[in-house]
Amino acid sequence: MFRRTGTERTGRTDRTDRRVQDHGTGAAEPALRLVKVSKTYGSDDSAVTALDEVTLSLASGTFTAVMGPSGSGKSTLLQCAAGLDRPDSGIVMVDGAEMTGGTEAELTKFRRNRIGFVFQQYNLLDTLTVAQNTVLPLKLARRRVHRGRVRETLTAVGLGDRLGHRPDQLSGGQRQRVAIARALVTEPSVIFADEPTGALDTRSARDVLRLLQDAVRVHGRTVVMVTHDPVAASYADSVLFLADGRLVGEMRRPTVDAVAERLAHVGDDVMAGA
Amino acid sequence: MMFVLAMRSVRQRPGRFAATLLSAFLGAAIIMTFNSMHDTAGAPGVDSVSAETLSTAAGVVGGYGTLLVFFAVASTLTVNVRQRSAEIELLRCSGATPAQIKRMVVGEAVAVALVGALLAIGPAMLGGRVLLDVFQDSGQVAESVDHTFGPIALYSGLDITVLAAAGAAFLAVRRVTTGRRRSRERGRTFLLRGSLALGGLSICATFVLSSTDAALMAPPAYGAILLSVGLALLSPRLLRALLGRLPLTGPSGYLAVRGLRVRVAQLSGVLVPLTLFIGMATATLQMQAVENDAIDAAGVPKSVDAKNLETLNLTVVGIIVVFSCIMLVNSLYAATTYRRKEFGQQRLAGATPGQVLGTVGIESLILTVTGVLFGTGAALAGIVSFTTVRTDAVLPDEGLGIWLGVVAVGAAATMGTSLLTAWRVLRTPPITTVALAA
Repeated sequence: MFRRTGTERTGRTDRTDRRVQDHGTGAAEPALRLVKVSKTYGSDDSAVTALDEVTLSLASGTFTAVMGPSGSGKSTLLQCAAGLDRPDSGIVMVDGAEMTGGTEAELTKFRRNRIGFVFQQYNLLDTLTVAQNTVLPLKLARRRVHRGRVRETLTAVGLGDRLGHRPDQLSGGQRQRVAIARALVTEPSVIFADEPTGALDTRSARDVLRLLQDAVRVHGRTVVMVTHDPVAASYADSVLFLADGRLVGEMRRPTVDAVAERLAHVGDDVMAGA
Repeated sequence: MMFVLAMRSVRQRPGRFAATLLSAFLGAAIIMTFNSMHDTAGAPGVDSVSAETLSTAAGVVGGYGTLLVFFAVASTLTVNVRQRSAEIELLRCSGATPAQIKRMVVGEAVAVALVGALLAIGPAMLGGRVLLDVFQDSGQVAESVDHTFGPIALYSGLDITVLAAAGAAFLAVRRVTTGRRRSRERGRTFLLRGSLALGGLSICATFVLSSTDAALMAPPAYGAILLSVGLALLSPRLLRALLGRLPLTGPSGYLAVRGLRVRVAQLSGVLVPLTLFIGMATATLQMQAVENDAIDAAGVPKSVDAKNLETLNLTVVGIIVVFSCIMLVNSLYAATTYRRKEFGQQRLAGATPGQVLGTVGIESLILTVTGVLFGTGAALAGIVSFTTVRTDAVLPDEGLGIWLGVVAVGAAATMGTSLLTAWRVLRTPPITTVALAA
């Protein structure tokens, strides 16, 4: 399960091929590992440290929520870990492979083979149908498309009868479910979700969170979700608390009340609990 | 109130109005330059042959100029209004009535057009002098005639530019503030059928004239223009049917075909100027080449009328080339920038920057081929009818040089603008572009 490293890291260096490990036991390589990742925005006197030597390791097959007040660096953490932004220093490893600061194209290829995304604003392409949006990452990576599996995945998220619809014909909840199907279909090592329920009503939000849970429990994926909502966080296996760019605590088996309570005092109880 | 807002928005964001200003400036410069020939012809002591040459030039090009200013300003303003739909929506939510928004956009357009026209006065005075020199050098106008930049040039330039801008702005904003789709689609169908029918008639009219008629070049030239517009409006519909059959595999092709199919209705903004440019430039230049050959073959020196015609033809082609290019580049630039969010989403779904550029490249190639195909068709109709009547042949024997040159310019403008703009957009990280447009 989840553990914070830095003090008790078991440094395995052998790189397992992710396909071998796909429906893995979760025992071997951590799905995501960050070592002393730092990121500063701006320069000189106006510089803001968004991430301050963050080190963490998430085992395969876990569902982790990242929480913290506005400006705590949680979005930066997600973007650096997901290869959407480049950290100033530190190492990001996904499924044993190190993300290096190569060209944008190299980074894209790294991402699309290992990482899935679910965004608050869905980011589906309006020009493509539900089915086409779902298979787009496969098409772009020139990977084979199993029509049966795509249909199966979309049926599993409750959209089996909407394959030919366009995103603008769907509700917010439905769009987010397409986004989840799209993230699942490439069988990524890690799925990053950035406020996935931020724009949804409570009912749709619950559906989306259950699907993310299923992605972990049924499909064996690893999910990292940034959220400010204690209800959303309570669906995760554990919650990481972030303040001023540092990890300040974690909570296993979170409940809504416990998360809300902790969140209210995050920052002033550094490193307590866990 | 809305006028103050209009002035403020022009002052705050001058860059946004650059394309409109450029079209207004060039349009006013052309109108004033040629209309100053009216002033010159009207001055005392000008002989009748010179006066006629000058007035013809002013009449023909002045008329074209008005139309072009209207189209170019309309095209740039439509783009401008579309880009600002969020701002306009915000105004509407803050309680601005459609009439107030209309006044604001029209006010901006008039202000920008007025500035453009005023700036054009100086260049137009110089241009008029140069134009008169050209006429005098070729012996079309007597050496004794002096250039006059008078009230006709000044007022026609200012009035036409400002009125065209106001009208174009009115049409552009009406689409945003009122329920759009239906009337627009109907208007387009009407325009399509009208231009095709008139173009066809115009081409047929060529055959009524005799081979030595001075006006022989006019019907096929107008025919080619009208057919270009008609075919360009028709082409998105044909393209939609054709897109599914293109043998395009690979990620970029996949995205290009699906993207184009959805956006097909918006493509006429690019296809009309491109097709018009190809059709018009090819037809006019090629017919002029045939005419020159025919005069050479007859073994008589060129008459003043023949020289006038050549000067006019080349001027008109030049003007249309410039304006079509402005419209084309502006529409493509705006359309490509407008898609920054889409590009960001494609990249977040796993597209490399190269794949996005590839998609844009394939799309522009399809557009270029479409424009070239229909433009060539329209030009061919004009050229064949003219050549058949003027000479014994059906096709001119000059070869493909002119056509290739015109196509090269059109293709370079289309592909170059799209790819350069997309390349610039791609330098921003995808997560930023997605957030910016959201």
